[in-house]
Amino acid sequence: MNVDQSHEDGFAVPRQESAEEITAYVEAVRAALSGLPEATRDELLEDLPEHLAEVAADDVGPLADRLGPPAVYAAELLASAGFVGGFPDPPARTDRIAEARAAIADWLREIDARTGPLFGAARASEFLLLLRPAWWVLRGYLAAMVVAWVLDSSAQPMGVLPRIGGSDVVALVLLAGGILASIWLGRRSRQTTNGPRYALWAGNAVLVLVALAGFNHVDGRSRDVFYDDANYTDPYGHVRDVFVYDEQGRLIQGARLFDQDGQPIRLGSPYCLDEAAQTDIPAADESAYPYCAQNAPFRMPDAAPTPSGPRPSDPTPSGPRPSGPSPSAGR
Amino acid sequence: MDTTQLLKGVLDLAVLAALRDQDGYGYDILRRLRTAGLEDVGDASVYGTLRRLFNSGLLTTYVVPSDEGPHRKYYGLNAVGRAELDRSGKVWRGFASTMDDLLGERGTA
Repeated sequence: MNVDQSHEDGFAVPRQESAEEITAYVEAVRAALSGLPEATRDELLEDLPEHLAEVAADDVGPLADRLGPPAVYAAELLASAGFVGGFPDPPARTDRIAEARAAIADWLREIDARTGPLFGAARASEFLLLLRPAWWVLRGYLAAMVVAWVLDSSAQPMGVLPRIGGSDVVALVLLAGGILASIWLGRRSRQTTNGPRYALWAGNAVLVLVALAGFNHVDGRSRDVFYDDANYTDPYGHVRDVFVYDEQGRLIQGARLFDQDGQPIRLGSPYCLDEAAQTDIPAADESAYPYCAQNAPFRMPDAAPTPSGPRPSDPTPSGPRPSGPSPSAGR
Repeated sequence: MDTTQLLKGVLDLAVLAALRDQDGYGYDILRRLRTAGLEDVGDASVYGTLRRLFNSGLLTTYVVPSDEGPHRKYYGLNAVGRAELDRSGKVWRGFASTMDDLLGERGTA
């Protein structure tokens, strides 16, 4: 038949012959599939004539010799096409996760190819591949930071180097070790099997999160100075009460403090410990210092705290005055 | 053991694999499978499998006119088909290596 078809004018008879043979064979198969719904059967057989034409064109001899009896062919067709017992199976969708993954992969490939020219490459991933060693170095640094953070038990802040106990030497050694290990791991990761590779990916994800958290922390600290001062370096945080003395060294009671804007300065807590009752008694006046005059750190040897402010007219007979009895004595 | 029984289980995978590198029409795919060593594979099985894989959304199809004889319906893998080939291929490799281990243990007598 091949020989016949190669003839310019010889196609008519063998073609006709094989076409009839094919039609007959297809009809016999169709008859054997009479149990199927007609639409299903038509759909199943729609390409069969063309398909059998290829088979017939390939070799000589009756179709039935090479394909077997039409009934057997029909049974095999039925079994492989998935129509068992005359009822079509529900469409065998592959699982949705694989489908979604394939769709996302297609989409990423598309983006990859589209954004390539931005980086002067055919694909963006080619450019990103060049950046991989940089990621290895960064990853080594992050890993060293995490190790230092876990091992460092000292109270002082670590800074941006992986210091343990505030040691710069340890920091540099750890940094070098982390970076070298990360590069080694990166160069080797192509050969690793699935298990270790997933572990590596998980580790990478954790380090990226650590990096984001760390960046956020450092960035926040460098911008928010007020926050820093108020919480960590307030030199008046320990103040509970304020005692004001005049130039004679006498405690002033009922003193009021104001800032440059006339706002009252509130320090300490307006309570006074009652020694006898062991309870805090609210101060009489919350805007006047001291809250608790009996706790004054300095006292005139024999002068009880005066009930009001300094009285220049008061002779204050007792107690040495810092200014001295007479200016002439000093000369 | 009858290889036709074994073929039933892996024909989908075999057809997908035959289309991995190059699209093909029905008879072409049958020839590829037979050339690869699956001599017992039946024509009706390949035709039926192609219909089913296409209906399942794993294959794309297009018609190419042929200068000799009727036009040909070509089949090719789409993304879903490739994902399925990937997944089934892994399943098969695992299965095959399990069988290898099993046969190796029992000894080749």
